[in-house]
Parts: sequence; structure tokens; C-alpha cells
Amino acid sequence: MQPSAERPYWNPYVAGFVLGLVLLGSFLVMGFGLGSSSVPTRLAIGVAHAIAPAATEANAYFAQYVGPGKKLLEDWLVFEVLGVFLGGLVGAYSAGRLKSEVIRGEGVPKGRRIALAIAGGVLMGFAARLARGCTSGQALTGGAVLSLGSWIFMMCVFAGGYLLAPFLRKEWR
Amino acid sequence: MNVLPLYPHDAFGFPTGLLLGTLIGFAFGFVLERAGFGNAKNLAAQFYLTDTRVLKVMFSAIATACAGLALLSGLGVLDLSLVTVPETFLGPHVVGGLLLGAGFMISAYCPGTGVVAMASGKWDGFWSIVGVMAGSLLFGFLYGPLEGFYKSGAMGSVTISQATGIPFPVLAAGVVAMAIGAFLGAEKLEAIFAPKMGKAVPAANSSLRNRQFATLGTLAALGLVAWVAVPRVRPVAAAKPFARIDPLDLAKEVVSDPQQLWIVDLRDPKAVAPAERIPGTATLPEGTKPAAFAATLPPTRTLVVYAQGDVAALPAGFEAFPGEVLALAGGFDAWKREVLATPQPPADPTPALVAEFRTRSALNGYFTGAAAAPPPKLVVKAVAPSAAPKKGGGC
Repeated sequence: MQPSAERPYWNPYVAGFVLGLVLLGSFLVMGFGLGSSSVPTRLAIGVAHAIAPAATEANAYFAQYVGPGKKLLEDWLVFEVLGVFLGGLVGAYSAGRLKSEVIRGEGVPKGRRIALAIAGGVLMGFAARLARGCTSGQALTGGAVLSLGSWIFMMCVFAGGYLLAPFLRKEWR
Repeated sequence: MNVLPLYPHDAFGFPTGLLLGTLIGFAFGFVLERAGFGNAKNLAAQFYLTDTRVLKVMFSAIATACAGLALLSGLGVLDLSLVTVPETFLGPHVVGGLLLGAGFMISAYCPGTGVVAMASGKWDGFWSIVGVMAGSLLFGFLYGPLEGFYKSGAMGSVTISQATGIPFPVLAAGVVAMAIGAFLGAEKLEAIFAPKMGKAVPAANSSLRNRQFATLGTLAALGLVAWVAVPRVRPVAAAKPFARIDPLDLAKEVVSDPQQLWIVDLRDPKAVAPAERIPGTATLPEGTKPAAFAATLPPTRTLVVYAQGDVAALPAGFEAFPGEVLALAGGFDAWKREVLATPQPPADPTPALVAEFRTRSALNGYFTGAAAAPPPKLVVKAVAPSAAPKKGGGC
């Protein structure tokens, strides 16, 4: 049974420290860190490949993922993100936060919120492929190993967010 | 002795890696959920400075992992050079960062937190992931015109430490100091901006916070101490010691006593034609790394390794072979030069030179199938033919 009362979040400093240990663990065990965005990418290419195999394999970018001898889903990050999903599920359930809902600001219609979630997602999907990673693979992982490009990327993520924030203020009142 | 990271040291195979990946991912997802990142409100709050838990969690994690890497590498248990560093592409990282930040603000999730939100039943999280999928395809469709920019500003796997020359542990300590400064600043900003947006200022737990600061500070300080105090164990020094063997000596051994040798080719097996190997070289099972193979050999013989050129250091894993290891001096290039190339008769035949020529000719004949050239006539006196090695041998 899911607990009826919602458990509080962890203190962010504690959560961050524990997250750092998980990341460090990945470095020590695997020799590389965490990632996320490439798995939606792989799934999307899988869908495209199922619909139009020839056209997908003819695309120079998709051809890195699909084609003769390539196993689209036999990839470390696919399993890692599967773990993220399960960990999120168990975490939400055990904290009483597993609930079908749409998170939105006060008075914001569901449709509008979903539309923005999709639009932002499209932008992120595009940007993550351009930058070869997202907040997980670049900012967090690359940040911890002091990759030059990852730190530039991280600063730009915050800059991009703050530049746009004033225009979306009413979404989060 | 450095044994970490485990996977690049061949501690386990790919399927085990996938299983461990699922476990690591589980921990990642669980912590993200407990951090509050399965809920868009907590993520959007970062950009309005009403609750900066995104900064606190992310920067704490980066500082912890970075200081941990510095300490373990300083202690000599971790080979930092085997930890993957994402490659730098200047333009794509700037533009990709700005666009991803904008997308993060619009959807109020990033790809990883979107997955956690989806797992928590949040439909906005689900749809943001659908958006990420669509955006990936969009990138693929536009890849033709984008390819030039996508590959521009390539600097390879470069760390800030390599770019600036500042040692990694010093930078790690700097990251910790910067994180602590940023956290204190962020708490001040929360106190200003949360009331403006009509939100409660996030509850501060200063004892927990200070304990975290102390832990990070201690980690960073230990990293610096280890870096200064522990003598740097160079990978070469830490690796198994080995002597070198000259091509001619190896050729004699192969002819006379092949049962006393394990010969392992360090080159990529797929890139080397069978004729381009020293006879008697072990054939590695498909997908096996030479070091992993060497570990399975009994130490009853001498292990001889060779590459195309000289072997500067044994690859990690050879320390698992308990017996003696020799490396072919000059590698296969020297073997070709010394053994496979037809020997030239000495211009000024002395007994010693003629004897050496006979040896070389005999070995060359053995390994190439060419008939040995007649030795040049000696002016002074005949040379005992005993220098020629006996063929065959062994049992």
C-alpha cells in the first residue's frame, strides 16, 4: 500500500551528496557517469525505423544507431534509464507521491501545460543531440570530471533558463 | 595499486555491466525522486529563485563526485585517465546549452527528471519525454545542414585541468569552495525572491547544511593532502615489470623451444592479417582483450607480448599473469626488419660476422621459407657452424 500521507523530500544538501555518491559509484564501477537523453532518442529512432526502415537507415545521423549489425537497445544507457524509471517509480510509491496528475501553476489549463511540456521537450531533444548530452550526461557527469565543454554547457543551460524565465512567470504562480 | 574503475580493468563483462547499469540507474532515479525532481514545480522554482534545490542538489553532487575522484586518484586506487571525459565541441555546447536551458524552462523538466516525473504518474513529465523523442528526430532530419556546425569547435576529451594546467585536486577543492559559496548566496536569494512570489522561504536546516559543507571540505582537503603526500604511482611503475627480448633472440626461442613460450599479440586482432603475426602467437577467442586472455594462462611458460612498435607499458590486466613477461623490443616492425627481411651478407667477412650471418640466414629461412643464402667465403679461416640454432626442439 502506498502511504497515505506524503513523505517529505530529502534535504537538498543530503540528496545532492547521495546523488554525488551514486555518480561517483558509476565512475568507479563503469568508468563513466550517468545519462538520460540518448534513451528517448534511441526509442524515437526505433519507432521511426519500425515505420520507415530504409529512410531511417539512409539518414546519416540515425545510421549511427540503426542499421546492419547495430543493436539499438543493447546499450548501457538504455538499461541505466530503465533503472531510473524503476527507481523513480519505487521512490514515488514509497513516498506516497505516485499519483496520476498534471503538475501546473495555479489556474493554468491542463492543455496549455501539456503543450508547453511537449514544446520544451522538443527543444531539449534537439539541443541534447546537438550538445551530445543533457543535464545528466553533460552537466552532472561531465561537470564532475571537469570536462571543459560540459562546464560551458552547464553555464549556458542556466543562462538559457534564466533568460526565458520572466516570460513564463505566469505559468508558475 | 590502482584497480578502479572496475569495468575498464576487465573486472566484469558487458552483460554484468548492463545489470549494474540498471542498479546504478535505480539509485539515480530514486534519489532524483527524493530530491523532489519528479515535480515540475520544484524545478521551475530554481529559475524564479523561490527554491534553489536544483542548484543545491546538482552542485552538491558534482562537488561530491569531483572531490571523490580527486581523493581516490590521489591515493592511487583510481586511474583517472580511464574515466571517460565527455568531448568538448565549443559552438554546439554553447548553443545546445542555451536551447536546452530554454527547453528546461518551458517544460520545467530536463530529460532525466522527465523520466522520474513520468514514473511518478505526472503526465506533463510523460509528454515532455515524448517531446524529447520528437526533438531527437527533428535533429536527425536537420542533420544534413547541421552537420558542419555539429562537428565544429572540436577540442577532444579535454578537462579544465588540462586546459589550464591546474592540477585536478586543486580544481576539485575550487569546485567545493565555489559550491559552498553558491549555496550561501542562493539561500540569501531565496529569502528575497520567495516572499515576492508569495511563496514560503524554503526551510533551512543549518546543522545538516553545515555538516554537508564540512564533509565536502574534508573530502577536498584530503584530496589535496593525498595529492601532495602520496607518491604518485605512475601507471607504468604500477604495472607489471617486464624485460625486453630482441627479435633475433625471440626467433631462436621460437625455433628451439616453442613450448616454453606464450606469445600474445597486443594489436587489434581484426586489424592484423594472420601472416602478419609471429608464428606461435596465441589466437585470442573472439572479443577477448589480450590482458584478459593473459590472466587465464598458467604461469608455466614465459609470456612474450608484442605490438606493432615497441611496448612502452603493459596494458592493465597483465599483472594478473603471475609468471615472467617479456616484450619484443621494437615490436613487429623490428621483427620484420631483423627476422623476415633477407639478411645481407657482411661486406667485410670476419668469423664473428659470418657466424651471425649464418644464424640470421637460418632463422630467415625458417620463418620465411626462403633457402638460406650461402655464407660468404672467409679469407682467414673457416667458421665453426655451431652458431646455427638447432631446428625443431621441444617434445
